[in-house]
Amino acid sequence: MVNQGGGGPVAVAQIPTSFGHELRACLRCRLVKTYDQFRESGCENCPFFQMEDDHERVVDCTTPNFTGLISVMDPTRSWAARWLRIGKFAPGCYTLAVSEALNPDLQNICEEEHVPYVPPKRV
Amino acid sequence: MPRRRDDYEDDVEDDDEFDGVDEEDDEADRYNDGGKVKRQRNASDFIDDDAEEDEEEEDDDDDEDYGGGGGGGRRRRGGGGGGKRHKGGASNFFDLEAQVDSDDEEEEEEGDDDFIDLGADIPDEDDRQIHRRPLLSREDEQEDVEEIERRIQERYARSLNVEYDEEATDVEQQALLPSVRDPKLWMVKCAIGREREVAVCLMQKCIDRGSELQIKSAVALDHLKNYIYIEADKEAHVKEAIKGMRNIFTGKIMLVPIKEMTDVLSVESKAIDISRDTWVRMKIGTYKGDLAKVVDVDNVRQRATVKVIPRIDLQALSNKLEGREVPKKKAFTPPARFMNIDEARELHIRVERRRDPATGDYFEKIEGMMFKDGFLYKNVSLKSLSTQNVQPTFDELEKFRQPGETGDGDMSGLSTLFANRKKGHFMKGDRVIVVKGDLRNLKGWVEKVEEDTVHIKPNEKGLPKTLAINDKELCKYFEPGNHVKVVSGATEGATGMVVSVEGHVVNLVSDTTKELIRVFADNVVESSEVTSGVTKIGDYELHDLVLLDDNSFGVIIRVESEAFQVLKGVPERPDVALVRLREIKYKVDKKIFAKDRFKNTLSAKDVVKILDGPCRGKQGPVEHIYKGVLFIYDRHHLEHAGFICVKSEFCMMVGGSRANGERNGNSLTSRFSHLRTPPRVPPSPMRTPRGGHGGHNNFGGRGGGRGHDALIGATVKIRLGHYKGCKGRVKDVKGSTVRIELESQMKVVAVDRSHISDNVNVTPSRETSRYGMGSETPMHPSRTPLHPYMTPMRDSGVTPYHDGMRTPMRDRAWNPYTPMSPSRDNWEDGNPGSWGTSPQYQPGSPPSRAYEAPTPGSGWTNNPSNNYNEAGTPRDSGSAYANAPSPYLPSTPGGQPPMTPSSAYLPGTPGGQPMTPGSGGLDMMSPVVGADNEGPWFLPDILVNVRRPGDDTTPGVIREVLPDGSSKIALGSSGSGDMVTALPNEIEVVPPRKMDKIKIMGGAHRGATGKLIGIDGTDGIVKVDDTLDVKILDMVTLAKLVQA
Repeated sequence: MVNQGGGGPVAVAQIPTSFGHELRACLRCRLVKTYDQFRESGCENCPFFQMEDDHERVVDCTTPNFTGLISVMDPTRSWAARWLRIGKFAPGCYTLAVSEALNPDLQNICEEEHVPYVPPKRV
Repeated sequence: MPRRRDDYEDDVEDDDEFDGVDEEDDEADRYNDGGKVKRQRNASDFIDDDAEEDEEEEDDDDDEDYGGGGGGGRRRRGGGGGGKRHKGGASNFFDLEAQVDSDDEEEEEEGDDDFIDLGADIPDEDDRQIHRRPLLSREDEQEDVEEIERRIQERYARSLNVEYDEEATDVEQQALLPSVRDPKLWMVKCAIGREREVAVCLMQKCIDRGSELQIKSAVALDHLKNYIYIEADKEAHVKEAIKGMRNIFTGKIMLVPIKEMTDVLSVESKAIDISRDTWVRMKIGTYKGDLAKVVDVDNVRQRATVKVIPRIDLQALSNKLEGREVPKKKAFTPPARFMNIDEARELHIRVERRRDPATGDYFEKIEGMMFKDGFLYKNVSLKSLSTQNVQPTFDELEKFRQPGETGDGDMSGLSTLFANRKKGHFMKGDRVIVVKGDLRNLKGWVEKVEEDTVHIKPNEKGLPKTLAINDKELCKYFEPGNHVKVVSGATEGATGMVVSVEGHVVNLVSDTTKELIRVFADNVVESSEVTSGVTKIGDYELHDLVLLDDNSFGVIIRVESEAFQVLKGVPERPDVALVRLREIKYKVDKKIFAKDRFKNTLSAKDVVKILDGPCRGKQGPVEHIYKGVLFIYDRHHLEHAGFICVKSEFCMMVGGSRANGERNGNSLTSRFSHLRTPPRVPPSPMRTPRGGHGGHNNFGGRGGGRGHDALIGATVKIRLGHYKGCKGRVKDVKGSTVRIELESQMKVVAVDRSHISDNVNVTPSRETSRYGMGSETPMHPSRTPLHPYMTPMRDSGVTPYHDGMRTPMRDRAWNPYTPMSPSRDNWEDGNPGSWGTSPQYQPGSPPSRAYEAPTPGSGWTNNPSNNYNEAGTPRDSGSAYANAPSPYLPSTPGGQPPMTPSSAYLPGTPGGQPMTPGSGGLDMMSPVVGADNEGPWFLPDILVNVRRPGDDTTPGVIREVLPDGSSKIALGSSGSGDMVTALPNEIEVVPPRKMDKIKIMGGAHRGATGKLIGIDGTDGIVKVDDTLDVKILDMVTLAKLVQA
């Protein structure tokens, strides 16, 4: 299933190339990749952030503070993905929760793009 | 494959539509429109599609049924799927599904795709897949009709979700709860620390292998080491997926119960609120556990600058700088103290003064470390800071206050306070004060608590009935005299009385340790409870002498939540170490002797005076002796819980002969003789002024008083009743009831006086020794080794003459070691009764304060008389008693001036400790004795008889127990009469009768109310109101409840 879409935007998101501190999570879709991956190819689910064009954006749109990691192989059928509301994103590695919210400007972008943004629930 | 390319585009479009994404270019509209149309169709077409899908699947199944046809069927189907998508492009939902479905089975075609991803692996993959195909098919075969149905339903369900997905509500989250038809979660063991890696590798494996792996997801939780979860329909899928994975242990695959599935995924996003001025704790390194304040945060680099109190060994640093070899001490953490630049300079350490270009502040730079105002400014990773539950203690904040800064350390405290506040902080009835805003300093009571708003009833007149105030603007408020309990922080659990309030900081005197505790008002609740707090960890208790791992030793002077403060046995200087439980080797409780300067043999409990050293002039009883080092307790020594560590040669036994005099009971007695004033008649001791000989005379007087009943102290045999045949010692006589401490059962029972036979056992050996001591040691006879009734628990190390040194407070100090000692129960129990039955204590004279606190009396009520009875001394009246010792007077060397009772021997007198009335004579020495045994005897709302001097006994109801031990009593059996204040010795608890409502005055249930449902001898059967438990409690601890 997955490799079929390697080139298409829906297909599998990039998989983190390391597992350490370089990992960052997209604040909107919670996709987890390394900083470099975000910088080079942006976020597969949130292309409108255009992180690949503006490296500063990577810092704004992603965070290294996240909790847990879930590799979603089959988002449509995975209950976990559905529960986490990442069922309609590309297969890939996501985090269970990020600890920061998007800054208001970026939230506005989401609004303009008519994509939902759900800020993380604070404890 | 142009067709497939189209499909992708369709997919893209569809998917975007799902997410509500508009394409930015012109096409967007088109897609969008299309999308809308599609969505509308979605609903109506849904079933059709499904039907088709159904057919397809059945088809598939058929194919598979026919064995080898599987591959072909698949291929065909894949094509069909694609076709359908063309035709349909119609249903978002279906497309997606179709795509996935076909994905599942189209691996082979994938090989044809020219995707770079797969690269050189493709041929390999193909090979393997070909081999594996039959296996897969078989597996597919297993999917029965139910499975298909499940899928359809799942799809249906999902399509519904899709419709509403955009407004994510909690209700909807509920709808996502896992059902039996969802894939399951399996727990798989993996290498520690590799959880994320494993999850990512599984992802990669799935990409590489394509649909061959049927797992849906893999979850690595940060807080769960050693395991990951894999989501799959079948355990077999999990097994397949983890086969050959390096870091996964294939041993055991555990299914997560469906109910727990959501728990797996519900992680709370760690709200990392590191911002300027936040209090944090260091997680690692030298400063681990230290409080730090955030000065600056760099969120991008994930670093913060914090200021901490440096832990720098300047000497070591200087040595290092000068290239001298430093023998590395293992695990030595220098104590935290402010950096003294001058000191550093003196040690020839180079100090640079630098200006921080960003802030313009000047820093002193030493060896790459930045200092300012004595603080070390440290740049650390955010990850190395702990922000949760920081809760700085008051001490820490105090320390953190910049040196020299006297000002408003308050506000920072306040912010901390609020930061650490938990939900549900305020409760109805709390007294609060407004700390911010226009209404600042307004006091009131909490009426109602909403989310963040607290409705308070203001104290002031002319204000609305209730005011709604943000909880951030409120702080709890206490007044001196309130009895409170600490509910959070380091001293959690301690209770005490508020002695002063500074802003939102409350100073209270702990009931247990008598230490002053400074806590935030927020961490305190008003409570009448008296608890001991923690005085024991493991086998070690406060004031124990312990041997530590490094063979040093010391006395536990404080028990903290996880560690002890130990005053080390270093005589030169007080050395307090924080010691963890595991660092303690064992408790030293051997009886060890030492010699004082004049070669007098010292043993524990001897009173010594320090002749040399920093603590020169202090004196007190020896608590512990070890290796020639004495630990002396001086209650006037405010540091180290009153303990002083000193070499034995630096001390002189008080009263000890300089010429190595004989030490026997007499000489000891004689030491005190100067204290002994001419015989006191009963009334006089009560009026004895503080200090002087008051203490001793009080004991004498009271002891004598107690002795009026010849029976007390006598050993008797019970002739009748339940305890028939038992022997015991009479502890108390009250009316026709005698309370007897049974020899055999370690308990005190009450029997009718007519049920006992008279003295069966008189022990002359004791008499002589006791006699000499008697006047001095009313409280302890039963604990001396000579005592035939001694139970092994009692400290046998105590010799009779040591008792002579005892003050009531010492008595308490004993109790901790013998918590079960029946005698104590007895004195506690017997106390009120004895007060009541010994009217000659207050023959008309208004008693002085010395009598007000119930406890000192309780300490010896039972015992002194024993001595006298058995010793054959006059026991009928106090005066006789008081006279008794006088023959010894002349024999005493006159002068031990330091021995004035006021300084050393009366620590327990209530007058001396107005703040700690509850425990009266209890002093620093007796922390372990908790609420169970001590504390104010009386409680509000109980029916008592008040015996006022010159009056008859009048019933009354205690309304309030005052801090000094006396009680406010409303006269009349229903408490409707006048309010009077009575001293404990004027009050006698009215024993409840069957079916009375009662209040429990002692034991673990102290304060609880209940109903006396039966009486069994001395035991009352009580149904406790709160718990509805039925308890059997000593009748003496029960009082009749009269509610206001």
